[in-house]
Amino acid sequence: MEALKMENITKIYPNGFVANKGITFSVQQGEIHALVGENGAGKTTLMKVLFGMEQPQEGAIYVNEKKVKISSPLEAIELGVGMVHQHFMLLPSMTVAQNVTLGMEPRKNGLVDTQKAVQITQEMSDKYRFGLDATARVGDLSVGLMQKVEILKALIRGAKVLILDEPTAVLTPQETRELFEQLKLLRTEGHSVIFISHKLEEVMELCDNVTVLRHGYCNGTHPISELDAAGISRLMVGRDVVLKIEKEDPKPGKPILEVRNLTRTNAEGKKTLNDVSFTIHEGEVLGIAGVEGNGQSDLSDSISGMVSYDSGTVKLNGKDLKGMKIVDIRSAGMSVIPEDRMTVGCVNDLSVQDNAIADRFDKKENMNGIFLDKKKAKSITDALIKEFEISCDSQDEAIRFLSGGNIQKVVVAREFTSGANFVVANQPTRGVDVGTAEMIRKYLVRQTREKGIGSLLISADLNEILEVSDRLLVMRQGRIVAAFPKANVVDVDELGEYMLGIRTMTAQEMEGVL
Amino acid sequence: MNNAKKIETWFDLVRILVAVLVAYAIALVILALISDDPLYVIQQFIVGPFSSFRRFGNILSTMIPIIFTGICMCFVYAINKFNLVGEGAVNLGGCLSACVAIALSNKVPAWLLLIIVLVVGCLAGMAASLIPALADQIFHADVCVVSLMMNYILLYLTNYILKYRIKDPGSSITASYKWAPALKFRNIIPKTSVHAGLIVALICVVLAAVLFYKMSFGFKMRIVGLNPVFAKYIGIPVVSTIILAQVIGGAFAGLGGTVQVLGMFSSYQWTALTGYGFDGLMIAVLARKNPALVPLSAFLIAYIRTGADIVSRTTDIPPEFVSIIQGIIIVLVAAEMFLSGFKRRLIFNSAKKALAEKEGKA
Repeated sequence: MEALKMENITKIYPNGFVANKGITFSVQQGEIHALVGENGAGKTTLMKVLFGMEQPQEGAIYVNEKKVKISSPLEAIELGVGMVHQHFMLLPSMTVAQNVTLGMEPRKNGLVDTQKAVQITQEMSDKYRFGLDATARVGDLSVGLMQKVEILKALIRGAKVLILDEPTAVLTPQETRELFEQLKLLRTEGHSVIFISHKLEEVMELCDNVTVLRHGYCNGTHPISELDAAGISRLMVGRDVVLKIEKEDPKPGKPILEVRNLTRTNAEGKKTLNDVSFTIHEGEVLGIAGVEGNGQSDLSDSISGMVSYDSGTVKLNGKDLKGMKIVDIRSAGMSVIPEDRMTVGCVNDLSVQDNAIADRFDKKENMNGIFLDKKKAKSITDALIKEFEISCDSQDEAIRFLSGGNIQKVVVAREFTSGANFVVANQPTRGVDVGTAEMIRKYLVRQTREKGIGSLLISADLNEILEVSDRLLVMRQGRIVAAFPKANVVDVDELGEYMLGIRTMTAQEMEGVL
Repeated sequence: MNNAKKIETWFDLVRILVAVLVAYAIALVILALISDDPLYVIQQFIVGPFSSFRRFGNILSTMIPIIFTGICMCFVYAINKFNLVGEGAVNLGGCLSACVAIALSNKVPAWLLLIIVLVVGCLAGMAASLIPALADQIFHADVCVVSLMMNYILLYLTNYILKYRIKDPGSSITASYKWAPALKFRNIIPKTSVHAGLIVALICVVLAAVLFYKMSFGFKMRIVGLNPVFAKYIGIPVVSTIILAQVIGGAFAGLGGTVQVLGMFSSYQWTALTGYGFDGLMIAVLARKNPALVPLSAFLIAYIRTGADIVSRTTDIPPEFVSIIQGIIIVLVAAEMFLSGFKRRLIFNSAKKALAEKEGKA
């Protein structure tokens, strides 16, 4: 029986971004169904629609073959749909039982019946062999156990369909195996599980069917038995539009950025960078491909001085950047197009002008004695608006009134004209329209070739990374796992296999390319 | 110009006016219940402050100290730290200035002493504000809590100084020795209590506005306040900017204490917190942390205060109730979300219209 069906779902966000286009997706009772796709393919949006967090423009949802309208998570829960979020929604200072029964506490004489809450939580945990102590404080639990609490929370509210959003991303291999056993147990009990993951070997091991999304479209549902990991990867990544960028071969000059044995442990104690080494020369674009969350952000933050690292060195134009202030790193030749333009790349409430000159307003030539030189600021901004074709009503307009593409143009304009000879471009075209994306890519290539700057391009967009980069590295779990001397001849299927962990290059294979 | 921006700009002004009207309407309803002549009370409240030259003068002299604390809070508010030490900074600035004024009276020329005293006020305010700022940055002690505690520490410190160090035993009230009369700020408008401190206050407004909008520190400060992550990324020293902004704010509050003491008294007499520091917060919120708008919002607060004062002296309404009305007005004026649904509808409609026009042309 069909436990759930989403039919012809189209979701357009208020800024005009179409995240889902006519997606049809169904889950049988008692199956584990994988939902896979690249970042931005529309998986999360589709699940938000199912869980009532977003409303689709078109389409219908059926639960147990009855048409339903889900306008809030509460209604979704009522209909037996439960979601385990990637970032846990738990109260660390409360016990497992308190978290699990939150909002539906058993009562006695108008007071919360703590004993009963503990009892039902413990029974449920034992039934599914979760191995939880209902009286333990959630803050004291391991990440794996916290996830069990989340699942229990959904089950106790009567969830028949469980959505797990990249559940294994935070787990150790042992915890993952344990989770899989429990999910299989749930399947035998008649529950359905929607399993969102990037890790294809897990999908192969656990799931019955797989639905592939690409660029907001559904790329079909297939029984796992008919596919292998490479086949899924092809469906996920498959190149459709190839944006050709005309460029001659690079003539790399002397090294600009040298990264040696960079290692970083993040606040959660996870090693996000593990012995990363590479060199970028004048006049070349080094691309870093990889599934998001494999250390790319930490790499760009470590290089640009936003975060500190455990060991290793980063040298820019021969200067060791360790412990330097960001203002000095910038004057040593660094510019950065950050991943998140709205929280890092600009100040929403300040004007286009303020954002465009934020790195150079206090340079001597841009000041009028001790005062800001408004005329100079205006002429600098005018020139940038013209050169980068930024469309805004006036440069005094707050930048938040601009479209995403134009905001990104302001960021790119500032960073490319800062006088730096090295640029980190982290997802430079994410969420911007095709025209702007093309312009940014061409500009990056032109700057590199004509001005001889060095560029580090980090991108989850495979077309972009293959077209724009000269050399290409692949990052997985904080390591460089593959290196290609010429990006535009790399086979995309092969690349996908390195990204997803099906293959790894040896140090010898990568020698000379790093 | 972008329609949404235009709407947002105009909306603030309209919103404050509507808020004042609504507040007076609510007050009228309540007054109808407890007063024999509610219309007269409201009339006194609204037009009373303008009914005589002396009363109008009261508005202006009430404005003086709260302009200083308003500027102080603009700096603090600009970098998003709720350092509420303005209150204590006023007392400390006033008290230490008084000590210096008493000690050096008739020993140095009056003009030089005046400068020294004003500088002492600034320094006192800076020191008062620096302590919570440092505690926040170094020990991550909540700046709001520390600064509130500081206010009491500073109050009792100044009380101690007044009672045990500079008290004039010959005075019938708790007051210090008098300083040289030449030091007292002169009246600038006859038959009112408006003193030369108003000029100092307005000079400070100009200084603060220049620092905010014409100098690089102000720009850095605004960036840090609006988006500290961006500030870090673009290479602005976030921590030192945050501390410096609070210290500069403290200087203005301390100076405000000095000016108020020199303008209103001939000896130091404060034994309680003045309330000017908290008024400053309200003024900064109303002025949208723009120092250039501080005189305007200080005028609004001073006008309400003066009206309240007149009502409690000329009608049957007890002063406690007057404070309630005053509170209603201020809450409504300060409530940023008041009428925000209406604003959103305006922006939405204008966007829809623009879209329709565009499609019509195409």
